[in-house]
Amino acid sequence: MLEVRIGDMVLENPTVLASGIMGTTVSSLNRIARVAGGVVTKSVTSEPREGFKNPTVVNVNCGILNAVGLSNPSAKLFAQELERYNGEAPLIVSLAGSEEEIPELVSFFPMAQGFELNLSCPHVGSMGAELGSDPELVENICRRVKKRTSKPIFVKLSPNVTDIVEIGRGAERGGADGVVAINTLRAMVIDVEAGKPILSNRIGGLSGKAIKPVAVRCVYELFETLKIPVIGCGGIITWRDAVEFLMAGASAVQIGSGVFYGTSIFKSVIEGIKDFLVRKNLSLEDVIGMAHRN
Amino acid sequence: MYIRIAEKVMENPETVTLYFSYEFPSVPGQFVMVDVPGKEEIPVSLSSESSITVKAVGDTTQKMLNLGKGTIVGIRGPYGNGFKAVEGNKLVVGGGIGIAPLRYLVRWLERDIDVVYGVKTVKEFIFFEELRAKNVVFITENGSFGEKGTVIDILESMDLGKYDQIYVCGPEMMIASILNLFEREKILPLTQISVERYMKCGIGICGSCCIDPFGLRVCVEGPVFNGEILKNSEIGKYHRNGSGRKYVWKN
Ligand SMILES: Cc1cc2nc3c(=O)[nH]c(=O)nc-3n(C[C@H](O)[C@H](O)[C@H](O)COP(=O)(O)OP(=O)(O)OC[C@H]3O[C@@H](n4cnc5c(N)ncnc54)[C@H](O)[C@@H]3O)c2cc1C
Ligand SMILES: Cc1cc2nc3c(=O)[nH]c(=O)nc-3n(C[C@H](O)[C@H](O)[C@H](O)COP(=O)(O)O)c2cc1C
Ligand code: FES
Repeated sequence: MLEVRIGDMVLENPTVLASGIMGTTVSSLNRIARVAGGVVTKSVTSEPREGFKNPTVVNVNCGILNAVGLSNPSAKLFAQELERYNGEAPLIVSLAGSEEEIPELVSFFPMAQGFELNLSCPHVGSMGAELGSDPELVENICRRVKKRTSKPIFVKLSPNVTDIVEIGRGAERGGADGVVAINTLRAMVIDVEAGKPILSNRIGGLSGKAIKPVAVRCVYELFETLKIPVIGCGGIITWRDAVEFLMAGASAVQIGSGVFYGTSIFKSVIEGIKDFLVRKNLSLEDVIGMAHRN
Repeated sequence: MYIRIAEKVMENPETVTLYFSYEFPSVPGQFVMVDVPGKEEIPVSLSSESSITVKAVGDTTQKMLNLGKGTIVGIRGPYGNGFKAVEGNKLVVGGGIGIAPLRYLVRWLERDIDVVYGVKTVKEFIFFEELRAKNVVFITENGSFGEKGTVIDILESMDLGKYDQIYVCGPEMMIASILNLFEREKILPLTQISVERYMKCGIGICGSCCIDPFGLRVCVEGPVFNGEILKNSEIGKYHRNGSGRKYVWKN
C-alpha cells in the first residue's frame, strides 16, 4: 500500500532517514533500516574530516541549528563500516566534495543502492553550497557521476539560492534520477551573555519545524517543472507534515531532526499516512502532487 | 540556558566542582552539555542536582578548573536516561572521576548502599568526607590509603551475590574487566553501568555517540546501560572520535 518506486529503487514505504542523522555508524543505520523505507548515510568525503569543534549543534525554539562540518572518517574507512549493512532497506550513500572528488567516491561503495550528492552543505565553503548554486556545475557533476554508476543518483538541493528550480533543472539535464529538497537554511544564533555566535563555526544550518513551509514550497515548485521525482525533506515531525510534502509533489520524504523525538518517528509517520489513506479512501499516487490538481 | 557559577570547590589540584544556583530537574547519571567560554562544548555528568565535577584531562577541562565564581556558562540538558532506583541491597562501584555521577546517586538512593571506590593514589579521592559517612571501601593502586589494589581485586574478593543491584561508573578498561567478572558471576542483568562516547549533539540526532552492534545512542538510550547489553558491545574494545574513525583501546 505504501510502496514507492524511484527510478529502479523500491522503497517499502515513503519515509527515508535524512543524511547526517544517526548516519555515522552502520549499526545505527541498521537500526533505522528496520523501520524506514530507506536510509541515507552521513555525507562522506575522500579525506577524513574531524568537522568543526563543539558546539556543533544547538536547539532553538523552532528547530535545530548545526554546523557539524561534514565530519567523516573518509570514504575508504566508511566503506569498511558499511560492509556490515543489514540490507533491510535501500542504502543511499551521501557524497560530498569537489567536482573532481565526488565522482571518484562512487567506486568505494558497492553496497550502496543509490547515491545522494550533497551539493548543498551550507557551512562548509569550497564544497557543497558553492557547487550547488551553479546549475551548470550541478549538471556536470551529475554527468560525471552517472558515467561511474548505473545506480540511481539524487541531488540534494539547497534552499539558499535565488531559484531552486533552476538548480533542479541542472540536475535533471545531468541525468539525476531525482532531487532531494531541502538541505538546511543558513542561520545563526548569538550568545548574548558572551556577545558572540554560539556555534563554533558561527554560521550553521537551520532544520526542523521552522523550515517546513520553505521546504514544502520548494518541493511544490520543483514538482511543477521537473520530470524526475522529488524527495521532500525539512521539518517533518508528524504524518501530517509528511502528507503535506506528498501533496506538494514529493514521491517520498526524508526525516532528520524529527529523530530528536525518538527513532519511533518513522513508525508513527508510516502508520499515520496509512490511516490517512484509508480514512480518505485514497492511494499514495492520488496524494502525490494533489495540491497541484486542486 | 545560561547559568552563573555560584560556588567553586577545588576537590584536588586537578578536579573542580562547579555549583550553580539552580537545581536541574534530573536524576543521577544524567549529563549536561557545558559550553566553556572560549573552548569547546563537552558532556559532563551532574554530580548533584546543582553541580558538575570535572577532572582536567585536556584543553576544555583544564579551562574549567580556572573558571571563576560568577562566570556564566552555557548549559544544555540534562540529557540521557540516568540510573534507576531499585529496592534492596545496592552496591555502587566507582573508579577515578567516575565517582562524580555516583556521588549524586549515593545521595539520591539514600540507604542500603555499599560503595567501592578506587583511585591510583590517595590524592585523587574526592568527596572523601561525604562518602566516609557511608559504607565505603576506599582503594588505592599504590596502597597509599585504604585497600591496596584495583577495584576488580576488591570486587573479586566480595560476595556480589548479596546485591539486588550494582551501579558502576569509571574508566572504560575498568568497566571491561567488571563486565567479565559480572558475566562469570552471572549477575550482568542486575547491573547499571554508565559509559562515555564522543558527543556532539547530545540529543540523539548526530549519531556520533552510537555504540555497536545495536546502534544505541549513549546520549539518549544511555549513558547508563544494563550490563548484559554492554557485554556484547564495543565497550572495552574500541571507540570513535569526532570524525567517526574507530580507535582500538590500548591495554
Ligand atoms: C556522558 C558523559 C559524561 C561525562 N561526565 C564527566 C564528568 O562528570 N566529569 C569529567 O571530568 N568528565 C566527564 N566526561 C568526560 C569529558 O566529557 C571529557 O573529559 C572532556 O570532553 C575532555 O575534553 P578536553 O577538551 O578537556 O580534552 P580533550 O583533550 O579534547 O579530550 C580528552 C578525551 O576526552 C574525550 N572527549 C573529548 N571531547 C569529547 C566529547 N565532545 N564528548 C565525549 N568525550 C570527549 C575524548 O575521549 C578525548 O580523548 C563525560 C563524558 C561523557 C560522554
Ligand atoms: C546534525 C545534522 C547533520 C546533518 N548532516 C548532513 C550531511 O552530512 N549531509 C547532508 O546532505 N545533509 C545533512 N543534514 C541536513 C539534513 O539531511 C536535512 O536536509 C535537514 O536537516 C532538513 O531536514 P529536517 O528538518 O528533517 O532535519 C544534517 C542535518 C543535521 C541536523
Ligand atoms: S551525541 Fe549526537 S546522537 Fe548522541
